[in-house]
Amino acid sequence: MTAGLGFKTDHLAEALTSRAAGLWFEVHAENYMVEGGPRLAALLALRARRPIALHGVGLSIASVQPPAPEHLARLKALADRIEPAAVSDHLAWQRWEGGHHADFLPFPRTQAALDIVVDNVDRVQTALNRPLLVENPSLYADLPGHEMDEAEFLTQLAQRTGCGLLVDVNNIFVSAANLGFKAQARIDAIPGQLVGEIHLAGHACDGDPASPLLIDSHDAAVSDAVWALYRRLIARIGPRPTLIERDDKIPPFDVLMVEREIAQTIMVASGGAAEHV
Amino acid sequence: MSELATFQQAFALALAGEATAVAMFADPAVARALAVHRNTSAKAAQDALAANFPVVRALVGEDSFAACAAAFVERRPPCDPRLCLYGEGFAAFIADYPPFAEAPYLSDVAALERLVTEALFAADAEALDGAGFVRALDRDSPLILHPAVRFVAVGAPAASIWLAHQPDAPADALERLPWTQETVLVSRPAMSVQVAVIDAAALAFLKACQGGATVAEAALAAAAPDTDLSSLVATLIAAGAFRAALA
Repeated sequence: MTAGLGFKTDHLAEALTSRAAGLWFEVHAENYMVEGGPRLAALLALRARRPIALHGVGLSIASVQPPAPEHLARLKALADRIEPAAVSDHLAWQRWEGGHHADFLPFPRTQAALDIVVDNVDRVQTALNRPLLVENPSLYADLPGHEMDEAEFLTQLAQRTGCGLLVDVNNIFVSAANLGFKAQARIDAIPGQLVGEIHLAGHACDGDPASPLLIDSHDAAVSDAVWALYRRLIARIGPRPTLIERDDKIPPFDVLMVEREIAQTIMVASGGAAEHV
Repeated sequence: MSELATFQQAFALALAGEATAVAMFADPAVARALAVHRNTSAKAAQDALAANFPVVRALVGEDSFAACAAAFVERRPPCDPRLCLYGEGFAAFIADYPPFAEAPYLSDVAALERLVTEALFAADAEALDGAGFVRALDRDSPLILHPAVRFVAVGAPAASIWLAHQPDAPADALERLPWTQETVLVSRPAMSVQVAVIDAAALAFLKACQGGATVAEAALAAAAPDTDLSSLVATLIAAGAFRAALA
């Protein structure tokens, strides 16, 4: 159980030559679900040296429409070439009547919605012949109509489909601040045995002085509060593959490696960082 | 329609700004969340356009590009999660975009940048080299274009403008632009996208190949009194324009 970095094309040379023990990388699957070319070749070259996790941003598993067959076929083709350490996507929807909203949209967590998400996750796992890790997205408002909280919904989803959970600690912090619940309690409610991966990232604030809203921007260093939640989670459940995510205002490779080292140190302090993802 | 479908339809319409749907999410906290999602998804699509059309962006400046990209995203939002491929139709949109009416070459540059994106992600295949071409001379089989090859004739010097914006371009490249129409070849020799200006004979040769011509037929299509066929073929082979024959 080691820490990895979100792979950026600009960091290819450093990523290929880094000698850091246990370093692995994650990419947004959609950026590589293409026919060919230099970017896919770079990922394959990196894969020859390091484990790669595929993180989807487009499966839309909370859509009433099942995952698009051509999208699933492309993801499977990529997964078969990369042999990823993990495949993940979000508890959210993006697709409606042919349109794609490039964000993780919320929905009322009802029993009926759970049945639909279970069906979609089953389809994905059957098509890929691999387990999926499902990530908690950032929430910005408490929608009317919820029948269960997020932790319960995700736990039931995992129990019914056999999928794992990708715990995004920053998203829990952001959601807790925006919706007014206790982040620590949410962290403590996660069944440790279901957790296959953890994400850490930075967030931004929309700057409203009256009631600031936190935005899951992935454009800053991991905050101290998020590190504290991560320590709490790892102390309880033990080490898990942990990713430092940065998608905007990307700093040099070495700066990201310093954050990765913090995660490594926290895992070692908890009683053991193993060698593999 | 299921409850979830009803919700997603209303939410999607509200994201698009449809008034009745927006009114369904009037609760201030939910309306604010809706605005965050609207901004995030629009920004992701606009960032993808900025990444895929860097030369148009450099030509018009950040602010003008952002305004144009926002207008395009509203008119033709993404329909594929692969935003690295987003931007089909952007050149045509720019051609009709009133603020750019005085700069018709922008649409040509956008059309070229679209071909660069297509070439970047096209299927891999071994390119035909000189020896392979010689072998192809003896065969009565078509000369197949490499999957990454694209070509277009445009009314403005789009290729020269594009080349002037590359890191290795001379500092005064934009000042020395030949202001004429250009025929452009986009290809991907050695896994690196390349843009080159080609002449009418090369265009005729490539078009013939696209139509299934053999070497002899393509040469006939390109033949003109001033055509130097051997240099034409050497240029196209160096550009990785053809696919190596399958063994």
